[in-house]
Amino acid sequence: MVKTDFLVIGGGPAGLCAAIETSKRDVKTLIVDEGVELGGQLVKQTHKFFGHEGFYASVRGFEIAKKLISQLNENVTVKTQTTVTGIYEDIITAYDREKDLVFEIEPKYILISVGASERFIPFKNNHLPGVYGAGAVQTLMNQFKVLPGKRVLMIGSGNIGLIVSYQLLQAGAEVKAIVEIADKVGGYDVHARKVKRLGIPILLRHTIKEAIGEEKVEGAVIAQVDEKYNIIAGSEKEFAVDVICVAVGLVPSIELASMAGVQIQYIPELGGYVPYRDREMRTNVKNIFVAGDLAGIEEATTAMIEGKIAGLKVAEEITGQNLDSEIERMQEELVEFRSGPFSEKVRKGLERFFPQEMMSYSKTSQQDLGPVGKLRPVIECYENIPCNPCQTSCPAGAITVPENINSLPIVDYSKCTGCGICVMKCPGLAIFLVQENFQPDRDLVIMPYEFLPLPEKGQEVIALDREGREVARAQVVRVVKSANKTHLVHLSVPAGMGEVVRSFRLPKETESFVCRCEEITVDQVERAIEEGFTDYEELRRYLRVGMGPCGGRTCRSIVLGILARKTGKTLKEIGFGTFRPPSMPVKFESIVKGEIENEK
Amino acid sequence: MKSEYRVAIVGGGIIGCSIAYHLAKFGEKDVVLFEANYLSSGSTGRCAGGIRQQWSSVNNVLLAMRSVELFERMSQETSMDIEYKQGGYLVLSYDEKEAAEFEKNVQMQKELGLDVQILSPNQVEERYPYLKVDGVKLATFCQTDGHANPHLANFAYAKAAQRLGVELFTHTKVVAVEALGDHFEVLTSRGTVRCQVLVNAAGAHSKEIGKMVGVDLPTESYRHQILVTEAVKNFFDPMAISFSGNFYMRQTKHGHFIMGQGDPDEKPQINYNVTYRFEKDMAKKMTKIFPFLGRLRIVRHWSGHYNMSPDAQPIIGEAPNLPNFYYAVGFSGHGFMLAPAVGEAIAQMIIHGKTLNVDISELNLQRFEKGIVRERNVV
Repeated sequence: MVKTDFLVIGGGPAGLCAAIETSKRDVKTLIVDEGVELGGQLVKQTHKFFGHEGFYASVRGFEIAKKLISQLNENVTVKTQTTVTGIYEDIITAYDREKDLVFEIEPKYILISVGASERFIPFKNNHLPGVYGAGAVQTLMNQFKVLPGKRVLMIGSGNIGLIVSYQLLQAGAEVKAIVEIADKVGGYDVHARKVKRLGIPILLRHTIKEAIGEEKVEGAVIAQVDEKYNIIAGSEKEFAVDVICVAVGLVPSIELASMAGVQIQYIPELGGYVPYRDREMRTNVKNIFVAGDLAGIEEATTAMIEGKIAGLKVAEEITGQNLDSEIERMQEELVEFRSGPFSEKVRKGLERFFPQEMMSYSKTSQQDLGPVGKLRPVIECYENIPCNPCQTSCPAGAITVPENINSLPIVDYSKCTGCGICVMKCPGLAIFLVQENFQPDRDLVIMPYEFLPLPEKGQEVIALDREGREVARAQVVRVVKSANKTHLVHLSVPAGMGEVVRSFRLPKETESFVCRCEEITVDQVERAIEEGFTDYEELRRYLRVGMGPCGGRTCRSIVLGILARKTGKTLKEIGFGTFRPPSMPVKFESIVKGEIENEK
Repeated sequence: MKSEYRVAIVGGGIIGCSIAYHLAKFGEKDVVLFEANYLSSGSTGRCAGGIRQQWSSVNNVLLAMRSVELFERMSQETSMDIEYKQGGYLVLSYDEKEAAEFEKNVQMQKELGLDVQILSPNQVEERYPYLKVDGVKLATFCQTDGHANPHLANFAYAKAAQRLGVELFTHTKVVAVEALGDHFEVLTSRGTVRCQVLVNAAGAHSKEIGKMVGVDLPTESYRHQILVTEAVKNFFDPMAISFSGNFYMRQTKHGHFIMGQGDPDEKPQINYNVTYRFEKDMAKKMTKIFPFLGRLRIVRHWSGHYNMSPDAQPIIGEAPNLPNFYYAVGFSGHGFMLAPAVGEAIAQMIIHGKTLNVDISELNLQRFEKGIVRERNVV
């Protein structure tokens, strides 16, 4: 039997923050967590978090977990790899996986902060190995360094689907597409842009129909849906993938709360069935609190604040200290974080429990593009998400997020020095530095880059636009390494492309050339065909393949072969294009000499 | 292919694609474009890619100036690098009478807001030491003139239009058109479609398309030949051109020199053959003016067509006797450089019933009833 003042079930962001507050005030606190380490979902998150510095904005999730754990003191006991198996009338039981035994806990207060579990969707063969939830993919990949597969189809374009897609790309997997049943992307625009500019298509109004494979996933069939989400017959497409990753949302894990007598209500805006709680995170059972995703599906920052509120309230009751002002300050933080348009659902849901307040914020975005020719930031942040590190990190005070963190950032170009700190800090990777004509006929684009290997100075890369289309060849003119792993790559791009280029890819290590005169690769030809250049003459004009001194002597047949293979047409249908004189390069002076001879 | 569209465009050169793109950009997305061969297979894909504002007629100058504004943002707007370079146009005159006209033209161009300079032969030599100025009377120069890659510009509009919802069918020939009062029935090699508005942007074949609906377009197509050399390091910024000297030449982004001349002996006809005489004429003439060319090798030589109008200015507008039949034809060798402004203007006419940026009313068919004032700045 373990006796404690305060039992925290689930050591994620909410649970840790509650324990920080109670332990600070000498409340004996026990954290029980299923995982091998504390931190909950934070330990799997490799992206930088939104919000403000007070709640670790711009810090990567797994580092936030470390920062929180370091704030726990000797009043805290931690039991990892342990699951609370029941909240009984008489006692609470927990199963210790390491010792393989069930032990009893008798706490004065309980916080249930067990989070959520993944929503799943039925489709044919969804039992096959290779069909994963997004959380499982993150656990394997980011926590245990195991890549679940090489070619992935992502189902769902909420923040989790978008983030996990990006992380899969960082880990070296290929993401074939992100499938979204709704007619718009579910997650933040900045997260969507991160994957789009790497060339990952987001297929709206599509759903997964079936997984293909005998023993394991070998492919997936997706299809378009109509307004009522019914599959449109004949719209099926097939992908060769070995992983189907399902990221279609989360449901609060209400089991323990429910068995403890907490009142459960169905509130779809909060994720389905959720426990009742008041402003101080207390349920209808006097000594039971809830916080984090269990209390309503949201994100880590609000989970941390809710945890702090619960912890403060418990500490107040156990120690008799008056902590009302601290609690009130945290409640104000919550109001600020929940004032944006993305929190509209949550506000609506919580309205069922108690009235919601809201702060107004500015929807005005940067109107001008700044002085052309000056090195300056372009902030592609168009949604009112609660976030402001661009403002707080700028050493020149050139960026303002007016009123509160839900407003859009505004740049004062007269103050900006072009240092690039905002580019490194922005959690959405939404800031680029641009300078037109920094060299004759060349624009400079400085972009955030979080992939390995880093390109080298002087290296030629393939510049991509916001949709991930190849738009130009570019040169790396500088690489600035950053301690926070968002490195800055300086790219020299053709003039006029400074406003277009937002990403790049490294040329493949072993490019196989189709046209050696003009250095055109098989890959370029294949991509051009995929872009719709399906005629030999169009390909020639688009890529310059065959336009070199040899007149297409070697490349013509190779290109025609690739065309036939990719389009499924016969060589006869494709035709062989035009041959033009001279059949070998001829000097002007040789022609002139001949004429002089002729005229003699 | 649907059975009905609001607008159908005939011709997948840069004019047709620019019209399609601008229609979609301004909100009219129910558009289909038919190209008989492949994209840029006609005059666009065969031209030198020059973009010039120095014209002898006010209409051409204004249209060209608007086009330059649009070219300046085209790579950005369409997400495709069209290799646009404002290296200037150096127009050389070898004829006293022409030189005198140039001075008048420059006056007119300046009044319209164009920054043009007159250069003496010495000034030309100083600026371009590799150019022999023997026989040059004077030159004019405009820095904001330039050139772009015509294939990429053509594709840029086509792909951008497609992304906005325009349907584009290549290898689809328009065989016949029936004008039925409130709509057209367009018979293509891929099937028949119905449309309310029909646009003739058929370049060298503009007359045939006009005939299908009974609109007589006074255009004739003449062969023009052109050649390209191997690539060398970039050093030659401007497009050098001469009407009295009968040549033009530029260096592409990839380092190739591309050049051509007109041939007064050509008869109106579609002819894609090439002659050795052209190479001989070019070799003799161009190596005298640009001696460095002597050791450069010709890698390719092809031909295309100028779709000529009686006054060498384009015919743009809605047919006076057939509402909803539009044409942008007879560009007389300078369609590529006018394409952005023309596409924008036609799209505005279709959507708003009038142009909003450049007045092109004087370029309609009716002008020939008043007599012909020929544009002289044509190679």
